[in-house]
Amino acid sequence: MRSALPQWEPAQLPACGSPDRWGWLQQLRNQPELDPEPWLLALENGSLSIAPDLLAVLAERLDPPAQLRLLRWWRQQPDPDPGLPSQVLRHRDGASAAWLLEQLAPGPVALGFALPLSALPQVVAAALLPLLGHQRQVAAWPVLLCWMRAPIATPLRRAALEGVARGLSVWPRSQLVAGLSALAGDLDPQLAAPAVDLLARLPGARRALVPLRRCGLDPRVAERLGRRLAATPAQPLLLVVHGRAGGQLPAELVALAAELECRRGAPVRLQALSAAAPAAVPAVASELLQPGQVLGLVPLLLLPGGHVRHDLPAIVRHWSAFARVQHWPFLGAWPRWQAALARELAELAMQDYKPAARPLLLHHPLEGPLAARYLTTLERRTGAQCVATPYSAEHLAELKLTLAAPDLAAPALAAPALPLALAANRLTDQLAEQVGPPLLQRPGLRQLLLAELEALP
Amino acid sequence: MDPLAKPSKIEQAKAELCGLDLAPRLGDLASQGWESLDEATLTIRLKWLGIFFRPVTPGRFMVRLRLPNGVISADQLELLAEVIDRCGDQGSADITTRQNLQLRGLLLEDMAPLLQALEAGGLTSRQSGHDNPRNITGNPLAGIDPEEIVDTRPLVEVIQARLLGPAGPRNLPRKFNVAVGGAPDSFLLHNDLAFLPAEHNGQLGFTVLVGGFFSAQRNELAVPLGLWLRPEQLADFTLALLCHFERHGNRQQRNKSRLMYLIDQLGIDAYREELVEAFAEPVHPHDGSHLVSRAPRSGLGVHAQKQEGLHWVGLHVPMGRLDAASMQELAALARTYGSGELRLTEAQNALIVDVPCDRIEDLLAEPLLQRLRPDPSTLQAEAVSCTGNAYCSFALIPTKGVAQQVLEELEQRIELPEAVRMHWTGCPNACGQPYMGQIGLMGAKARKDGQMVEAAKIFLGGSMGAEPKLAELHEKGVPLSDLADVLELLLLEQFGARRREPAGF
Ligand code: SF4
Repeated sequence: MRSALPQWEPAQLPACGSPDRWGWLQQLRNQPELDPEPWLLALENGSLSIAPDLLAVLAERLDPPAQLRLLRWWRQQPDPDPGLPSQVLRHRDGASAAWLLEQLAPGPVALGFALPLSALPQVVAAALLPLLGHQRQVAAWPVLLCWMRAPIATPLRRAALEGVARGLSVWPRSQLVAGLSALAGDLDPQLAAPAVDLLARLPGARRALVPLRRCGLDPRVAERLGRRLAATPAQPLLLVVHGRAGGQLPAELVALAAELECRRGAPVRLQALSAAAPAAVPAVASELLQPGQVLGLVPLLLLPGGHVRHDLPAIVRHWSAFARVQHWPFLGAWPRWQAALARELAELAMQDYKPAARPLLLHHPLEGPLAARYLTTLERRTGAQCVATPYSAEHLAELKLTLAAPDLAAPALAAPALPLALAANRLTDQLAEQVGPPLLQRPGLRQLLLAELEALP
Repeated sequence: MDPLAKPSKIEQAKAELCGLDLAPRLGDLASQGWESLDEATLTIRLKWLGIFFRPVTPGRFMVRLRLPNGVISADQLELLAEVIDRCGDQGSADITTRQNLQLRGLLLEDMAPLLQALEAGGLTSRQSGHDNPRNITGNPLAGIDPEEIVDTRPLVEVIQARLLGPAGPRNLPRKFNVAVGGAPDSFLLHNDLAFLPAEHNGQLGFTVLVGGFFSAQRNELAVPLGLWLRPEQLADFTLALLCHFERHGNRQQRNKSRLMYLIDQLGIDAYREELVEAFAEPVHPHDGSHLVSRAPRSGLGVHAQKQEGLHWVGLHVPMGRLDAASMQELAALARTYGSGELRLTEAQNALIVDVPCDRIEDLLAEPLLQRLRPDPSTLQAEAVSCTGNAYCSFALIPTKGVAQQVLEELEQRIELPEAVRMHWTGCPNACGQPYMGQIGLMGAKARKDGQMVEAAKIFLGGSMGAEPKLAELHEKGVPLSDLADVLELLLLEQFGARRREPAGF
């Protein structure tokens, strides 16, 4: 197809530097129709050279096949202008994305110098990597990751990271978090700082950012991390816990809340299940919450017993009348908590030199099909056997004897045992020698719980 | 105008879908990527939300806000600083010649949360680009100015609210600039619609001026429409005028679509009659005389406010460009020393307001003021520049860089008794308003030693005073390598500059 306006042909274009050129190009730009074909042909046959001003006008009129054609031409040039691809490649287009992938998929080995014709010049790779991300095709993820991690010049790794940035929401989330978290620890702040900034843009960013605080980052990157965390302030938390008889709060939980408040930089309050909801909930809510803030309600309960099924919904309802509440599942259902229990049990078995014995999880008796399903899942995830343990003095005394001297009637009780209790209670008080301290007095579990709670929004 | 002519690509895109309807879909757009972002959405419609696709950095966007009357709070500035800080090296903010801010280097993923945060922070970026009513400007010293005739802030606020409200225009034929004057130095004749304070029968109100604009093809100062309005009429009148423009403006030729072309087509008297009919409220004829009598003050340095014991401190922002750290510090200073409010000027500078007498000295000793100086050289004080080739493909010269370099060079050579308004622009599109400068500089090409080289056209004589005048061409093309020499001579001969003594004397 020929242009309808022959006076706007390439041959008429005033030369670079000519005083008439700017006006001519602006008029070309204002033409209602512009057929790029003669322009592409002129470039391909060498009768026209491309300059940024002409490119700015042409690029607006290129459809996807034309943009790819121009890119292919550019790639053949002995000295390609690194500024061209970003101007040309504005459409998201399958063929263009496939071409980019083809150029970059071999990874940094394509930068080899042995085969000058097929080798990928650094300048070309650096120009194409951001655009590969801009195309937002998930197939590009491993390629970008490979360039980003490779031991190559920083500008190339940065170009790959820029590609990651420009397609951010498309990449597989867990791999993205892992890749960026690793890069945040890179010795080169030019890579580490943008990695932190990208992590901060992901949904639930605190979960990814908080662990970086303990990673010994470059001071400038650590400052940046501090700014990103400050911009996503933590919600105030209400931790719903088992109180002790008489409504007292166990010391382990009080200490946990205090440390957590420090680490999150936001209020953390405890509410004992046994106690009635504070009479002054509205006042407490307004003291805890800034306007527009949400209250995170976390049941630090290990089992789906009657408290979780009945009391908890009542507490949530009560607070919801005065604040926007984000209600988290009870702690016993958190997969990372369950995995930590499994680790603790495995360590216990090793300490007791009974690696073959199936460890025990001693828990308060539960009723109902939900509880049964939960215990089965917990057994599967931890490898332990759940043993219901009534807290009556008589029963605990009996259990003490059995655990101290297991006999043939109950061989399973010869195994190491862990009490399913966060803080000291009658079970851990009475059977201290047999079951050891409650879970929050065990450093691994306490640290994990703190880290998990710290990373909540 | 041929009513049967096929509408342009831009007009088609605007008619098919209004960019404002994209707002609820922004989150999805970010996660789906570009499927739903066809070329027209990407480059045209998103501008209705204030989001600009940048062809030089596809995937990194610009967001232009609206800051009515150039007023911004420390909290708002801090919010914006955080946004560009997250963009690392790619992030920056420009103070624009419309007392506004635009942020660069943002990702598509930033948009949905940013728009929410803007709303929560009392800001908006709505309709700040393309064929929309742009940021409405007013007296940067409104409410604090000892010379104030009328406080423009509430008027500007109401006009913005009306234009962005349900009856406001969504599909103008072209961009549209509105401004309200409130002081004797409110020069606003470069706007499509300017309201200048004027008296009528002893009552203070506004005379209406229309049709001002600058472009590569034509430059016009606004002309009196011959109407006088009471302050409370400004918002409804503006809406009526814009709705008229929306219906009758030229949609066939974009380079002939600014308001002045419609006025030419109808004739000023017929145009006024149509507006009076559309407005449907009593208005008074007026001769166009007004209370604006001199060129704008720079506002730089320490000045007493009309409130006893309070001052504003005007800081020079080189070429209007701010980074995240400077924005953070600026916000902190406004909070620590003032009331937490800042103003932005058309000369791309920032003012901290409400500083008590006993805090001035401490504020002046702050390290940030070494960079954003209250007392820049007379050469730097009133220099304005367009974006230039870092972000604009049409630039014939790297505008900001050249301007900075030449001014620094001149500072070494000469002393200038009074600030000279120098307006730098990268190409004839004239975004840097070269015709308003006492000296205007425009990117060009020129021949030197047989070679075509980067150059600048020089314009002289722009006046924003009682006798407003556009600058006229003085030099067709001075090679950039000779520019400092030529400007030095000009400043010595025509602006009272003196050569500095060589060092050591
Ligand atoms: S004047 Fe020219 S170079 Fe400057 S911003 Fe406008 S179009 Fe770009």
